[in-house]
This record gives sequence, structure tokens and C-alpha cells, in this order.
Amino acid sequence: MTSRSNALRYYVLSRLMLAPLMIWTITTVVFLLMRATPGDPVDALLGPRAPIEAKEALRSQLGLNKPLILQYLDYLSHLLRFDLGSSIASQGQTVWQIIGDHFPATVELTLCGLAVAAVVGITVGSVAASRPNTPVDAGGRLFGILTYATPMYWFGMILQLVFAVQLRWFPIGTRFPLVQTPPDGPTVLYLVDSLLQCNGSQFGTTLYHLALPSLTLGILISGVFERMVRVNLKQTLRADYVEAARARGIPEIRIITVHALKNALIPVITILGLTFASLLGGTVLTEVTFSWPGLANRFFEAISQRDYPVVQGLMTFFGTIVALVSIIIDILNAYIDPRIRY
Amino acid sequence: MSVQFLGGHRWPRWRRSLGYYISVFGLCLVLAVACGGGSEPETVASDGRVAMGTTLRARTLDPADAYEIFPGILLYNLGDRLYTYAPGTTDLVPQLATEMPTVSADGLTYTISLREGVTLHDGSAFNAEVMAFSIQRFMDNGGRPAFLLSEKIETVTATGDYELTLVLKQPFAALTALLTFWGVTPVPPDAYTIGEGQFRPEDFIGTGPYRLASFSSDVIKLDANPDYWGEVPSNDGIDIQIFSSPANLYNTFRSGGLDVAYQTLDPDQIAALEREADQGEWAVIEAGSTVVNYMSLNQKIAPFDDLNVRKAVAAMVDRNIINERAFQGQAEPLYSLIPQSFDVHAPVFESAYGDVDYEQATEFLAAAGITEANPLEFEIWYPTASTTRSVVANTLKESIETNLAGLVNVQVSTAESATLWENVEKGIYPSVLSNWYPDYFDPDNFVQPFLSCSEGSVETLCERGSTQGNGSFYYSATANDLLAQQSAELDESVRNNLFKDLQQVMVADVPYIPLWQNKDYVFAASGVGGVAVEPNQQFLLWQISK
Repeated sequence: MTSRSNALRYYVLSRLMLAPLMIWTITTVVFLLMRATPGDPVDALLGPRAPIEAKEALRSQLGLNKPLILQYLDYLSHLLRFDLGSSIASQGQTVWQIIGDHFPATVELTLCGLAVAAVVGITVGSVAASRPNTPVDAGGRLFGILTYATPMYWFGMILQLVFAVQLRWFPIGTRFPLVQTPPDGPTVLYLVDSLLQCNGSQFGTTLYHLALPSLTLGILISGVFERMVRVNLKQTLRADYVEAARARGIPEIRIITVHALKNALIPVITILGLTFASLLGGTVLTEVTFSWPGLANRFFEAISQRDYPVVQGLMTFFGTIVALVSIIIDILNAYIDPRIRY
Repeated sequence: MSVQFLGGHRWPRWRRSLGYYISVFGLCLVLAVACGGGSEPETVASDGRVAMGTTLRARTLDPADAYEIFPGILLYNLGDRLYTYAPGTTDLVPQLATEMPTVSADGLTYTISLREGVTLHDGSAFNAEVMAFSIQRFMDNGGRPAFLLSEKIETVTATGDYELTLVLKQPFAALTALLTFWGVTPVPPDAYTIGEGQFRPEDFIGTGPYRLASFSSDVIKLDANPDYWGEVPSNDGIDIQIFSSPANLYNTFRSGGLDVAYQTLDPDQIAALEREADQGEWAVIEAGSTVVNYMSLNQKIAPFDDLNVRKAVAAMVDRNIINERAFQGQAEPLYSLIPQSFDVHAPVFESAYGDVDYEQATEFLAAAGITEANPLEFEIWYPTASTTRSVVANTLKESIETNLAGLVNVQVSTAESATLWENVEKGIYPSVLSNWYPDYFDPDNFVQPFLSCSEGSVETLCERGSTQGNGSFYYSATANDLLAQQSAELDESVRNNLFKDLQQVMVADVPYIPLWQNKDYVFAASGVGGVAVEPNQQFLLWQISK
């Protein structure tokens, strides 16, 4: 018991010590990639016809005329002070301000998308697994493949055309109605803030605006959960304890929902955490498709402007979140699952 | 497996339940489609505020750094300038000035008397000190448009409480027009500072008919300024939604979520909205534009180092087919880089090379030694993100290769925008499809950026100057002389003749081929009035009513 406890402590420590290394690797790769990509940020900012003197002045002002190694050391020293820099496009807005302005919208969209994905994926996966080798099972498989293969942009546009333009059921292109004041609260997550203020109308409005983007995101990633639930549930349903339950005459629906699904969901929860972390930075297509004012949309804009500090800062931010979440999940798994060796 | 799948127990039940769900879903869908369109989305302002959508981005609202169209439109409505254009015309009129400037005999000193009783949004008073500070800041802070004034103005001084004096480095006839630029607007010295890179990108305090209520990368809100000294806006405010794609803008406007949609929709979307406008849900407002589109020919490298080849390509361009295929008639063929909005515009390329003349093109090609055994091959480059320029490039390729089969082969190539412009300046591409958004409404702004070269020679071509940035590397002592003359000339008729000479220089040397002039479109929902695009391409928000 003691040796297991020590080993676990050592494992946690080693995982935590790996985190800075992972983050440093991410930041260095991003720094080098930005410099290796063709296209000069000064050209992107000033345009091709700006006077050469103006371009040189801006290059000097931004420190882009320094040797690469000095730029890198500058960047690292700022990073160590948690200074992610300022946008060179807007000339004044810090990366932390950008994160503060846009990250809540991304978190909200990601959480809602993930909720949709979990509900749809687990439901379809469970139904498919409960009827193995039937058309329902085949339908579940097809659903998994289709959602995985459907392009986000195309699916988002179809939903927009049907549900916003044709049916006019849902709005697009905004997080909250232009003419209304959004919920004002500490989290800047409109759903949470409206709940904290007990404002049902604002909560409903926020949800209404979240509907199409989160459905798009959720349905398209639900295939991952569907496949995992289907495979795991099928295995679990063949387990001895399930056969014993059947022998005792427990109804099939109860066996699935109460006994089998719980065990089948363990790996799904791991995937859920990792998907959440990677989705924070991976919602670019959804945000761009729906003009969602999130961080991923802003990130896309920064790339096209060659806004080095913003791209580097946001990549570092996203990379850190993914690294930390994956470490937390590793540690949790190690605690929960005795089969994991460390 | 097969027994279960095909057996008699599950298959019919499954079929029944699936059929049931499909029927219910289908019924719901039919009902929904049938009842669709009844509900009005709540994003449209129900009071006197106007909801506007655009895909244009506002990088900054600092007048000393804003150099793009959209921040320009915002600043034009949030601030005032010394001079402006009377709405609906190209007539220069005083705005914060009380009269047109007094110009010294040598053309170097401009004295401007200023309006009294104007207050800024923070309540402070406007006077000559504020204006001098704002102009000095514009020049000194190193923002994108700083060169517009810093290259022209030597000193700016408040020579009285309400008198401003500008001393120029050299005579510049278009100065009054330049002073209508959106960034030449007063800001309070208490809130803004002079210093390299000292900007306030998310804020604006000025004197204009609107105050900035909020600014973010997705929503911008302007409130009508109740203390405005001039004409009070016809609306209570403007709420602007910024979309990440034309498709979003189009879909939101069509779904009734916006009062006004302005820039930038694709030609297909414009055509669809025009077709359906007679149903009465929206109105289409069409306006001419001063945005010119052209092909830049790099004289530093083959094949465009040969004048006959440049002339041949000028003769083989079919502008009407471009307008028809790429723009569905939503553009104007252009035959000079000075657009049709100016009296001095002369369709010089049409006169010299016809409206596509393949016979003439063949003659020029023969003079350049181009034969079927030695065909002309050249590349046309354009930025990847530009779908219209992609269609234009491919239309050119198709029309040229069809009509001059065996003689000319065109290769269409694309590069991401930042990469493309970096390489254009280095002279890597033989030809590039490009466009020009003017800074101010004067023909000077359509010749200087295309023909001037500060360092170079006929042998080395342009080594430093505007033509290098444009990728033509054109150098002409004659053009430089004519540019200097027109810049200094205060006599309008003499100046107009100089512009005509410059257009002739352009057609003789063919550093660029003018292609088309944009049209501007605004879409206004029913019940929204006063929507118009000004001849100088400004969008006056205070005129919009609902």
C-alpha cells in the first residue's frame, strides 16, 4: 500500500514537472513556426504601398529587426513574467485583454457543444449497443462515420440556411441581441451570469443564440462519443455480471442504464476532458462559420494579420490548458483506475 | 447475426418505430417550413437605433493609426474634419473650418479659420490648439497613415485661438482634399498623447455627431451625440455587428436580423438580393465607387520587360467579359487608373488598345518576337482569399488562350495575402491583380501611388518608391516631372491638363492595365431610409432613419 502510494506520488510529481517542458516546447515551436511562415507582419499591417521608411520604423518599433535569438529571448523573458505581449495590429491591446474579452464566449460554446455531443453520442451509442447486429446498430455506426466525416463549415451553413434563413427559428452571428444589454456578471459567461442574477429571460436568450453553433459543434463531435460508448457498452453487456443480472430477470433497459453504462462511460469521461481542452482552441471553424465572438475566431484573424504576439500568446494559452488538462486527467486516471501502471 | 437481422421479430418492430419517427419528424418539418418566416428575429432594433452588419474589421479607432475603410467610416461619423464634402456631392465645404483656406502666393502656407462653440465628447472646448495638437499627433505617432501628412506638412501652429496655420514642405494642390481624411480630426490633448506608438485603439473622443458607446472586435455601438454642434443624427444610435464571412452577413440580413447590410457580400449574394428586392422586404442602394482594380506588370523581369509585350497584353484584355462573368455586371470596365468619378478621367486604354483587340495584340506580339514556335507565357498572381480575383484571373486566361491559341499561355497562380505582397515588393511575380482604395478624393491619389519613384533610373528601374510597392518597378523621369508639376499647380485647368498628360504616359508605357472599377452596394430593410453611399465612398450613418 505504501509503495503504491509512493509510486503514485512520484508519478504525479513527474507529470507536474513535465508540464513546463511541454509548455516550453509548444511556445518554442510556435515562435519558430511563425518566423518560418512566409509573410511579413509589417507588410500585412502597413500594406504593400506604405513608404519603406514607415515599414522600417514599425519593424524597429516592434523589435522585428533584432536577430532571431534576441527576439526569442525577449519573448521568453516576457513569458516568464506571464506577459504574453500586445497586439501589433491594434497597437495597444494586450493578449490578456484579448483573452479576457473573447475566452468566455469560447468556453460557453465549447461547454454547450460538449453537452450536446455527450447527450447525442451517449444516447446513440447506447441504443446502438443495446441492439447489436441490427439496423439500429448499423445506423449508429453510420452516424459515427458521417459526423466524423462531415465538414464543419458545410454542416454549419446548412443549419444556418434551414433554421435561420428559411425557418427563422434561430438567430446567427451574435452571442446576444445587438439591441439588448447582455448579462453583466463576474464570469462573463452569459449563461452563468444570467443564472446568478436569476434572470430567466437573459438565460433563455443566451441559450437561444447558442443553439445553432453548439448544435453544429456538438453533433459533429458526438460521433467520437458514440463509437466509444457503443464499443465499450457492447463489451460490458457481454460481461458475467450482466449475464447474472439478466438471469435474475432484471429488465434490459435497467441493466443498460443502471449497471452497464456506468462502467462503459469511464473511458468516455477521459475523452470528454481531453476533447474539452482541445476544443477550446479547435472551435475555429465553428466560430468563423457562425461569426461567434470567441477566442478561436480572434486567433484566426491574428494569423491572417501575422500578429505574432497574439498568435504566440494564444497558442501558449491554449497549449497550457491542453497540457494541464491532460496531466490532470492522467493523475485522476491513476488514482481511479488501479490497472494503470506508473 | 443474419437471423436476428432478417428474422421476423425485431425487423418489423424496428421498421414500425423508425417509420413512426420519420413520419413525426417529417410532419414537424413540413409544419415548420409552412409556418416559417412569421417570427421576426429579435436582433433588429425596435426603437430609433439602427442595426447594421458588415464583414469589415476595425483594427483600431485611433485616428492617428486607422488606415482601413471601416475604421475610416466610423471615424468619419464619430469625428469632424476641417473640410468635408457636401452630402451627395464632391463639393469641398468647410466643416470645423469656417471658410476655405487662405493660401500664400508660394503655395506653402495655409491659414485656416476655425469654428467656435464646438465641444468634444468629453466636454472640453475645441480650438486651434486642439486641432494643432491632433495634426501633430497624427504625424508624429508613427501610425499607418502618418506619412500622408508628414510627407507634406513642415509645421502646424495655432496662430490664434481659432486660427490654424500649416506650412508645407513643398506646394501641394490637393491639401484641402487631403484634410478631409478621417484621421485629421480633433482629439483632446488631455486624453491623447504625442509619442511614437502611443495609440488608443479601442477608444475615441472627438467632436462628431456620434459618441462611441462600446467597441469590440464583434460589436461596435455608437450613440447619437445630443450636444452636437451640427445636424443631429436621424437615429438614436447605430449598433454594428461584425461578421466573419459574407455568408453570415447575407444569411443574417435575409433572416431579418439587420436593418442595414454594408460590405462585403459576394457577387452571387448581391445578385440574389437584387433579384428578390421587388418583394419589398429590402431595398438595394447602388453607388459608384472610386476603388480601382488593375493588373501590375513587373518591368524588371521577362516577359514584361518588353514594352511590346505589355502593350499586347493591354490589347488582349476583355473587360466586358470580366464584368459579366466575375461580377454579374456589378462593376464598371475601367480604361484609366483615374476613375470615372473625376472630370479628368480619360478612357486612354480604350482609345489606344481598343475594348479588346486581338489583331492589335497579335501585331504587338509579332513585334516582340512572339510566334507559335516561341509563344508568350506569363503568370497572373492574386491573393488566395480573393474569390473575385480568382474568377478574373481565370476568365482572362480562358479568353486570351481561346482567342490567341498557340500564341499565348497564361498561368494563374495564387499566394496567401501577406506572402504575396511581400514578394510583389521584391519583384518576384511578373504580374499581379491588385486594387487601390484612395486616401482622399483627388486625382493626385490615383497617379502618385502608381507612377512616382523617388530613387531609380531608366536602366535600373525603380529602386525605392511607390512603383516598387506596386510591383511594376516603373521609372520615368517624365512621369516624375509631371507629378511634381501637378502637385504644385494651383490653377485647376492647368492641373487638369497635367493629369491628362499623366494618363497618356501611363498608356504609352503600360506599367499597369486598368481593369475594373467597383460598384458599392448597401442593402436596407424596409422602413429604413436615408441610406446612401457618398461619392467619396463615405457612409453617413447620421442620415439613416427608421
